[in-house]
Amino acid sequence: MLKVIAACGNGMGTSQIIKMKIGNVFKRLNIQVEVGHMSVGEAIGQAGNYDVVFCSDSLAGSFKAGGKTKIIGLKNLLSEQEIETKLKDAGLA
Amino acid sequence: MDPTMFNGLMGIWKGFFDNVMAEPAIFIGCISLVGYILLRRPAHECFAGFIKTTVGFYILLVGSGGLVNNFRPILAGLAERFHMKAAVIDPYFGWNAVTGAFAKAGWTTSLIMMALLIAFLWNILLVAFRPYTKIRTLFLTGHVMIQQANTSLWMIFIAIPALQNNVWGIVACGIMLGTYWAVFSNLTLEPTQELTEGAGFAVGHQQMAAIWLTAKLAPKIGDRKTSVEHLNLPGFLKVFNDNVVAASTLMLIFFGTILYILGPEYLAARKFYNPASGEWFFKYVFKTTIHFAVYLFILQSGVRMFVAELTNSFQGISERLLKGSLPAIDCAATYGFDKAGGNSVLFGFVCGAIGQFVAIMGLIVFQSPIMIITGFVPVFFDNATLGVFANRFGGLRALVIICCSCGVLQVLGGALAAGLTGLYEFGGYHGNIDWDTLWTFNAWMFQVFGLPSIVVLTLLMLAIPQIQYRRNRATYFTHGAASE
Repeated sequence: MLKVIAACGNGMGTSQIIKMKIGNVFKRLNIQVEVGHMSVGEAIGQAGNYDVVFCSDSLAGSFKAGGKTKIIGLKNLLSEQEIETKLKDAGLA
Repeated sequence: MDPTMFNGLMGIWKGFFDNVMAEPAIFIGCISLVGYILLRRPAHECFAGFIKTTVGFYILLVGSGGLVNNFRPILAGLAERFHMKAAVIDPYFGWNAVTGAFAKAGWTTSLIMMALLIAFLWNILLVAFRPYTKIRTLFLTGHVMIQQANTSLWMIFIAIPALQNNVWGIVACGIMLGTYWAVFSNLTLEPTQELTEGAGFAVGHQQMAAIWLTAKLAPKIGDRKTSVEHLNLPGFLKVFNDNVVAASTLMLIFFGTILYILGPEYLAARKFYNPASGEWFFKYVFKTTIHFAVYLFILQSGVRMFVAELTNSFQGISERLLKGSLPAIDCAATYGFDKAGGNSVLFGFVCGAIGQFVAIMGLIVFQSPIMIITGFVPVFFDNATLGVFANRFGGLRALVIICCSCGVLQVLGGALAAGLTGLYEFGGYHGNIDWDTLWTFNAWMFQVFGLPSIVVLTLLMLAIPQIQYRRNRATYFTHGAASE
């Protein structure tokens, strides 16, 4: 099972939207996932415990690059197509 | 009907009302439950939704109780020593204040959830009849909807005796607030579509009027070619993307300063601080101020838990009911479209913070009876959002001017609104820019003109999309066509 988190500034609004969209995409791709959501502040500390972190493009720079966790920054949070393409680019789907 | 049976039924209803409807955590759990049932989710998911909503709300109350206790030395000290009242301008502190104010008035906060439901249903109706209403957007940002229902219901209850703590007040609030959601999120659609090159959403948040105004003003006061992307911002600013660090730092600066001004002697005399225990005063100040962030964090994790459930059911319902309408979502969804790659977000925040600090200095110099304390959410999210829009439509100059003025307005308008609504007594006010300007005006209207003001303001708002439509008949409904 893939462990994924969606992160945003306060962990309230946009991360919730990303979470729902990610859920739809993985369902369509038939991949088992566990998706949570939180603030970027929390996610920076906990990223290591997850396989993938999704956040807005503008916040992706807050995470350290490298390591086994994939950080995926999204431009349009509502675009399931963008999520799917970026998952494929990261070799996850 | 047999009178004993009638009394029996009334007894059951009263019991149900007191134990379920008037207990906000359980009541809101039931709302989620109904949402999930309407979505025909399996029974175990319905159950889980109910439990997580209710548990989340009780967690919120734990954080809220902690904040109130932590506030005590500061509010008492400022009042006794300087005859000053302090309010943090932040929607969570505002929520906390309204909860306290409702408790003091003896009203149940479940009424707020009922107003929220009416507002949501009213927004759905306005979108469903879009050929007539010209409303294209449905407001879906759950936590913001609850915060706004809190503040607006309090504004109406205290201003208009005929609407106080009764069903008419809830209906009036629902219609007024639902109209604000529909009309102003609809107003953000054109600027947001232009910013995102047709991503297919509008902003449904706390600064919708300000976004519309920014998109209008920015081209006039700036030049969009001078984007902030060429600006090298110092790297340490990135740390303020982290809400825990940003909120703690703000609390440390503001409350720390206030505690130092009150001084160890005063706090010891009032038994808040015990020097005999050997605790350094500095450590007392650090621990006390940092605990604002701790309780704020607990409160927000509760909100996050129950809003996640609520938003799921809201979105599910709206997706079933309203094909072809557009969602109005969190302002932070625009940050990915910042043409300066996130620089406008941080720079807008910095300019807004400067505006707020200057205005707070002004309050102190002119001895305002209400002191304002910067809260994280408005200073960050309002100014970051206006920063992204201002930079897109007017470049650097527009960003600096608009975000600095926004910071100033947040403090002055917030102080005015905290005074008008009496929420300063409870240490907080909503504080987001629309709620420091437009809704300060609304609150004043409610108090001066009473019930007719709600009718007039609602009708005026409903006229806005009609004017928009008349100016742009050809592409009005196709302009917002979603890309997916």
